[in-house]
Amino acid sequence: MLYRVMDASELPKLIDAFMERYEVIAPVQSGRSVAFEPISSFDEIVLDYPTTLTSLKKYILPPRETLFEFSVDDADVTDYTLEIAPRVLFGAHACDINALNNLDLVFEDARYPDPYFEAHRAATMVVGINCSPSETCFCHLLDADEVRSGYDLFLQDLGDRYLISIGSVEAANILEAACELREATDEDRREFRRLTRERQEAFSADIPDIQEIPMLMDAFHKDEFWAELGGRCLSCTACSAVCPTCYCFDIADTLDEDGKTGRRERILDACTSPQFAQVAGGHNFRETGRDRVRHRMYHKLNGFNSKHGRYLCVGCGRCVRACKADISPIEVLRFFERKGTEDA
Amino acid sequence: MPDLQTVHVADLADDATARSGNAIMMANPYRPWPARITSITPLTETEKLFEFRLVDERIRNAFHHEPGQFVEVSIFGVGEAPISISSSPSKSGFIELCVRRAGEFTQRLHEMQCGDIVGIRGPYGRPFPYEDMKGHDILLVAGGLGIAPLRSLINYIHDERSEFGNVTIIYGSKNPSEVMFRDQFEMWRHRKDFNLILTVDTPDDTWDGEVGLVTAPFASLDVDADNTFGAVCGPPVMYRFVVEEMRKKGISYDHIYMSFERHMKCGMGKCGHCQIGHQYCCIDGPVFNYWEAKNIQGSM
Amino acid sequence: MADTPRVVFAGLASCFGCQINITNIEEHLMDVLGQVDLKYWQLTSSDPMPTDFDVAVIEGAVTTEAAKESVQALREGADAVITIGACAATSGIPGMSTEDHAADMDAVYGDKVPYVVADGAITPMAVKDVISVDFEVPCCPIDPYDFVEVLQHALYGSNIYRRSSTLCGECKNNERGCFYGRNTLCLGLVTRSGCGARCPNLGRPCNGCAGLSPDANVAQARRVADRAGVGAAALDSALRIFNQPIADEEVS
Repeated sequence: MLYRVMDASELPKLIDAFMERYEVIAPVQSGRSVAFEPISSFDEIVLDYPTTLTSLKKYILPPRETLFEFSVDDADVTDYTLEIAPRVLFGAHACDINALNNLDLVFEDARYPDPYFEAHRAATMVVGINCSPSETCFCHLLDADEVRSGYDLFLQDLGDRYLISIGSVEAANILEAACELREATDEDRREFRRLTRERQEAFSADIPDIQEIPMLMDAFHKDEFWAELGGRCLSCTACSAVCPTCYCFDIADTLDEDGKTGRRERILDACTSPQFAQVAGGHNFRETGRDRVRHRMYHKLNGFNSKHGRYLCVGCGRCVRACKADISPIEVLRFFERKGTEDA
Repeated sequence: MPDLQTVHVADLADDATARSGNAIMMANPYRPWPARITSITPLTETEKLFEFRLVDERIRNAFHHEPGQFVEVSIFGVGEAPISISSSPSKSGFIELCVRRAGEFTQRLHEMQCGDIVGIRGPYGRPFPYEDMKGHDILLVAGGLGIAPLRSLINYIHDERSEFGNVTIIYGSKNPSEVMFRDQFEMWRHRKDFNLILTVDTPDDTWDGEVGLVTAPFASLDVDADNTFGAVCGPPVMYRFVVEEMRKKGISYDHIYMSFERHMKCGMGKCGHCQIGHQYCCIDGPVFNYWEAKNIQGSM
Repeated sequence: MADTPRVVFAGLASCFGCQINITNIEEHLMDVLGQVDLKYWQLTSSDPMPTDFDVAVIEGAVTTEAAKESVQALREGADAVITIGACAATSGIPGMSTEDHAADMDAVYGDKVPYVVADGAITPMAVKDVISVDFEVPCCPIDPYDFVEVLQHALYGSNIYRRSSTLCGECKNNERGCFYGRNTLCLGLVTRSGCGARCPNLGRPCNGCAGLSPDANVAQARRVADRAGVGAAALDSALRIFNQPIADEEVS
């Protein structure tokens, strides 16, 4: 990885350079929280922001996307073009970049690469920025507090300057043309290490650090805990809506008003939606809140691991705040912690 | 503000003349291809056997399935549904799908006529290990509509009969009127090279087969355990009982195969609807062996 | 069904706003009507209801014996019955008087019950409590495009699955924070999704016009309301606006 240092005062020039060729999405104030929205000037950006309400997922995997248009009479596809904005996702935190990397594992798999996802991803640059944890952050427990790939640039704020990791030629070209850069010094590196340690120590101590989570997910699969947790579920699917790694979707046809033509869409779905695992004829393989909540947690903290060797959950804490019933991976970690103490 | 890019997510068939069927299919794996209904055979009150032929010759030639796989069938405007293939891969150029009228999609399919066009994409899924099964005795157990995916394997074994050892098929239905492929099986009952056991829960006056659950015939079944592959497909409640009978006969966990039913919406390991535990029924299954199934939370 | 499906529209106790709303899709109205043989539209006609039709569209709650008979006749004649709006689906606004209907009548009219009321007024009912209903277009008023989708579903079939998940997921897709964080009651916790959470998106809490989800966890929603300082009683009371059945569980 190539590293360069840039004065903080250079940053607006980088944003201006991006805006010439790309739609720039960045964290902006939105009501009481911060949201990733298109910006028209550097001044709108909130650089030091707490985790946003929803994630960057919508820019790669829109909640609703047309797969193709069809003609009913011809019983055939008539068009499948996609309008895509070349974008820079600016100011992504490490957890969110790790989340996009997790989506890559699903949508860019070798057997069935998803052409829609690929088209969005190919038109999108990712610029990360370091962060300090809020009280619901637990990315460090799931190995998602640092990001080693999947970005074009990553900015580490060193006070009056940025240490920048450069991940792509495209970004290097823009950065070098727009900004004054210099080599990193030992002092820059020392400051980087100091700030990294500071971040590590800033995570909430109330969230237990549990070892062997995937194994525990299996071992306690039949525990009564899941009935209690699932019994609280409102089936509102807010958890998956805000989750940066919930990617499940439904495929549905919608006719145009005249009934002659229509479009097939993919619509983001949620395994906590009651009918999600229902089959034709009506049998529902996850009939209860217990089954559904447990399945969601299982996939986040075990299932994805057994396929891809890492947690699907990146510990961003969005669901912790979105769930009105206090259902979240943190509750699962606390349950394991209690089990550990009870046995001792 | 930069201009939007228009991305063509694959070419339409007419624009892709120079390319192979496989390349065209994979360019956009969500795209169904027109297929014509070439034959419809009523099987029972609620089930029909449809024969489909893909219209585009390149796609038809590139389409190869294996026993246990499924396709996604589209009726544009109505939607899409996963349906397992009932015909043997030894017959190419067409596929047969056995469809129960169970919802609005299948209701519409049942109303269609020969010559009508639907969309088909696939085939998807991990098949039965039919190559590994060669040289072994085979014990197949089907319950109800579970005969649909197993029939592909049964017909393959029939077409390649000399490659397999003893073949026993136990097929259970609720009552005689729900027995599918009855003509085919009636003929087979007199064959020496198939041990075909048809059983129903509730017989009528005409029934001369067995009466009782699909597990009942196991009592008098002679199984060469080390040399036998078992395969099961049926309603969710059936699996546990049948695979345990197979275990009691001494068949190894990894020689007992079952095909699971889930709602495979995308067929490509993405949409999540068919997840069982950590596995995707559509790409990791629908066929799993008993050992794998035991290691999937919530599989049975 | 006939080659071109014959459709009738009937209006019961309601503001007729849902039927009006269908006319609001002006640019597409002819496209929609082109797919059917519109035999009767109460909003636009004084003629009596015809007897031969395939699809019956009903707006409004059943509040009289005569209305009860007419929906029964509609059910008998139709292959598919579609209700539009909250009044038909849950008895809606007319249904607010359901609980103490007799007492309310007494309080309003005393012993001077006018003839038109005395003659056949019944406790308001949802259409589905009188006849079986095949399709519902929810909300107050309906989204006319939802109506078009449901009509096409009735005409052509669809394997689309109607989620019973509640509203908050759609609200989050709109990047909206939660009213409960601002001590404000919102029925999104228990209201069936599908509308796109458009009221919260305009800054107004959900009032539940899409109806209580069959999978609503009212007990948990009451806990949420209590904890947010809104109070479970306020939630219960708000649920009555669209005459939702109140679950029996008490807040624990």
